[in-house]
Amino acid sequence: MSEDLLFMALRRLRAPLITLIVVYAVSVGGLALVPGLGADGHPQRMTIFHAFYVMSFTATTIGFGEIPYPFSDAQRMWITFSIYMSVIGWAYTLASVIALANDPIFRGLLARAHFARRVRHLAEPFYILCGYGQSGSRLALALDGTGNRVVIVEPRLERIARAAIQEFAAPPLTLMADARLADVLEISGVRSAHCLGLIALAGEDDANQAIAIGARVLNPSLPIVARAKSPVAKINLESFGGVTVINPFDTFADNLAVSLRKPEVLQVEDWLTATPGSPCPGIVRPPRGRWLLVGYGRFGHSLSTVLDREGIEWKAFDPGITDGSDRRLQRGDYTESMLRDGGIEDSDALVAGADVDAVNLGAATLGRRVKPDLYIVIRQNHAQDSALIDAANANMKFVQSELMVHECLQRLKTPMLGRFIARMRSRDAEQATRTLERVRAEVGEGSPHAWRFECDVMRAGLFAAFFQRRGAAYKIAHVMADPTKRRERLRASVLMLERGSEFELLPADDVALKPGDRLLVVGDADAERLQQRYLDEPSAVSWVCSGTEPPTGYLFRWWRRQSQKWRESPRRAGTRAKGTS
Amino acid sequence: MNLEKVIFGFFIIFACTLNFGFFVGDIDRPELHHPFELFAAVVVNLIATVIKFGDRTQLGATHLATSLVATFQLIAGSLVWAWQLYVARMPMNGEMIAVVVSLSGGALVANVVSVILLLGETLRQGR
Repeated sequence: MSEDLLFMALRRLRAPLITLIVVYAVSVGGLALVPGLGADGHPQRMTIFHAFYVMSFTATTIGFGEIPYPFSDAQRMWITFSIYMSVIGWAYTLASVIALANDPIFRGLLARAHFARRVRHLAEPFYILCGYGQSGSRLALALDGTGNRVVIVEPRLERIARAAIQEFAAPPLTLMADARLADVLEISGVRSAHCLGLIALAGEDDANQAIAIGARVLNPSLPIVARAKSPVAKINLESFGGVTVINPFDTFADNLAVSLRKPEVLQVEDWLTATPGSPCPGIVRPPRGRWLLVGYGRFGHSLSTVLDREGIEWKAFDPGITDGSDRRLQRGDYTESMLRDGGIEDSDALVAGADVDAVNLGAATLGRRVKPDLYIVIRQNHAQDSALIDAANANMKFVQSELMVHECLQRLKTPMLGRFIARMRSRDAEQATRTLERVRAEVGEGSPHAWRFECDVMRAGLFAAFFQRRGAAYKIAHVMADPTKRRERLRASVLMLERGSEFELLPADDVALKPGDRLLVVGDADAERLQQRYLDEPSAVSWVCSGTEPPTGYLFRWWRRQSQKWRESPRRAGTRAKGTS
Repeated sequence: MNLEKVIFGFFIIFACTLNFGFFVGDIDRPELHHPFELFAAVVVNLIATVIKFGDRTQLGATHLATSLVATFQLIAGSLVWAWQLYVARMPMNGEMIAVVVSLSGGALVANVVSVILLLGETLRQGR
C-alpha cells in the first residue's frame, strides 16, 4: 500500500524534479565558466564547488552575498539570469508537491495506507463490518458494547462520517472503500489472526454476495454472516458453503410461524436471547383467523408464504400489484376506504408492512379505531420513527435493523445457542416448557447469559480430569459444581451436549463427559467465570471430584508418587507378612 | 518511434558516456580528469535517476537501482574532491584523484549495467 503512495509521488514529481536539476546544472555550470575575479583582483574562474555553494543560497533566496570574492560584472549578469530561472523552478516544484498533497486520489491512498497499518497493528480481537447503514451502525455499537473492536468498510462518505461522530468505547477503524474488492478485504484484516468474523450488511444483495464469497476465499475458516433479502442470493450463498445467511424478512416470518404453531418455543427463544437479566416475556399467540396485509413487497411476500403454510386465510393490497391472477392480491393505495373494502372489520390481524412508516402508522391507527381488539403487526423502516411506531402499540413489531443485530450477535457470539434454538424448534412445545422450567429453577427469573464449555484436553485442568484421575467418570455434575464450595451447584444450567455431530438437549447431571464434548451452558456471568477454572486448574477438578487437593510442586508430587508406590507394592505386603509370622 | 524511449535511452547512454569520459586516463594524474566532466556526469546521472522513477516493473526497479548506485558513487567522488580542496586546503594530488576516479569507475560499472538492461529490454521487445 505504502508502495503505491511512493510510486504515485515519484511519478507525479518526475517533471518538477528534472526541471530543478536542469536549472541547477545550467546555473552552476555557467557560473563556473563565466570569467570572474580572484582574491587580489586578477581574473580567476569560480570553481564548481563555489558555484554550487553560491547557487544553493541564491536559488533558495537566502542570499549571503558575493562569496568568496566580489563578483565580476559577467558573473553578476549570469547570477541575475539564474535567480529568475531557479525561482521559477522552485515555484513549479513546490506547486507540484502541494497539488499532489491535495490530490483526492493521493489522499485516498494516504488514508488507505494509514488504515491498513492500523489494522495490521491491531492486537485485539475484532469484527469486520461491511456496510454501515441502520443495521450496520446498530451492530457496531452492540459489538463495541460487548468489548469487541470493529473495523468498518463502507463506500459512502456520509455513512463513514457518521461512524466518526458516534460514541464508541473503542473508536472503530473506518475505511471508505468498496469491500467487494479483494484488496480492500485484505487490508481490512480478513486474514488476520485476531479477526473473529465478517458481517456483510451492504445495501444490495449482490454486494453482500461478492463480499462474503471474497472473504471466504481469502480466509476459509473465518465465520461470515451476510444479509440477503432475495431468495436467489440466499441460495447462491448457501450453496457456496460456510456463509451464514440471514434474510430479515424470512427470519421474522419464521418467528411468526413458530408463534402461530408453538408459541411456547418463541417465548423461550426470546427469553434466552434477550439482554441478560430481563424478565421472561409473556406468550404471544397471534390469531389464526383472517389476516390483512397492507403492503405486499418482500416482507408481505415472506409473511404470506408462512400464512399459506399454516393454512390461514389472508388478503393483501399494495399500489404496486399488477398481476391479477391471484384473487387475494389487490391493487390499491392505503386509503381508509381501501382498508374497509379489504374487509378490515372482519379481519383478525393486520400487518402494516409497507416500506413507508407513515403508511404503516396510518393503517395501524385506523385498524385499532375500527376494531379495538385487532392483532397488529407493524413494520418500522427508519430508526428516527421508532417513537411513533412504539406509540401505535402494536402486538408485534418488525424492525429490520434490530432483528439483524439480534441475529448477527447470536450467530457470531454464541453459534451454539443458535443451533440449540433450531433443534428446539423442531421438537414439540413440551420441550420448550421443560427448558423454561429447568432454567428458571436452576438460574432464576432473569434472562440468563449463554456460553459454551468445551472439553478441550489440551487445557491443563481437563487433561487432569480425563487422564490423570482415578475413580469414576467425569460427569456433567462435576463441571456444574461450584469450585469453591464443592457441595453446591453453580447458578447455571446445561441446555445441550454436543458430541461430534450428535447432540442431546437438556442432558442429565449424571451423563459422563468425553474429551471433545461441547456443552451449552446458561447462567450468570459469575458462574461462567467460576466454571472456567475447571479448564486450567487441576486442583479445582480434583477438589470437586474427590474432596482432596493434589500436591502442586514437583517435590511433593514425587513424594506422593513414591509413598503411593511404597504403600501398594506387593514386596511391602510380603515383608510385612514375613515379619508377622 | 516513441519520443519517451528516445529521451530515456538518451539519458541512460549519455550518463554512461560522460562517466566513461571522466574515468578514462591514468588514474593518478589530476590533469587528465577535469572537474567539469565530473559535474556533467553527476547532473546527467541525476536526471537519468529521476526519469526512472515510478516504473513498477521488475526491470524498472533494477534500472532505478543501477542509476542510484551510479549517482551515489559520483556524488561521493565529488565530495572527496571538494574535501581535498576546501576542507583539507591542499591542491589535488595523485593519491586523492585516484580515489575520485576509482569511485567514478564503480559508477561506470553501474551505468554499463544500466545500458545493458536498456539494450536487453529493446531486444526482447523486438520491434
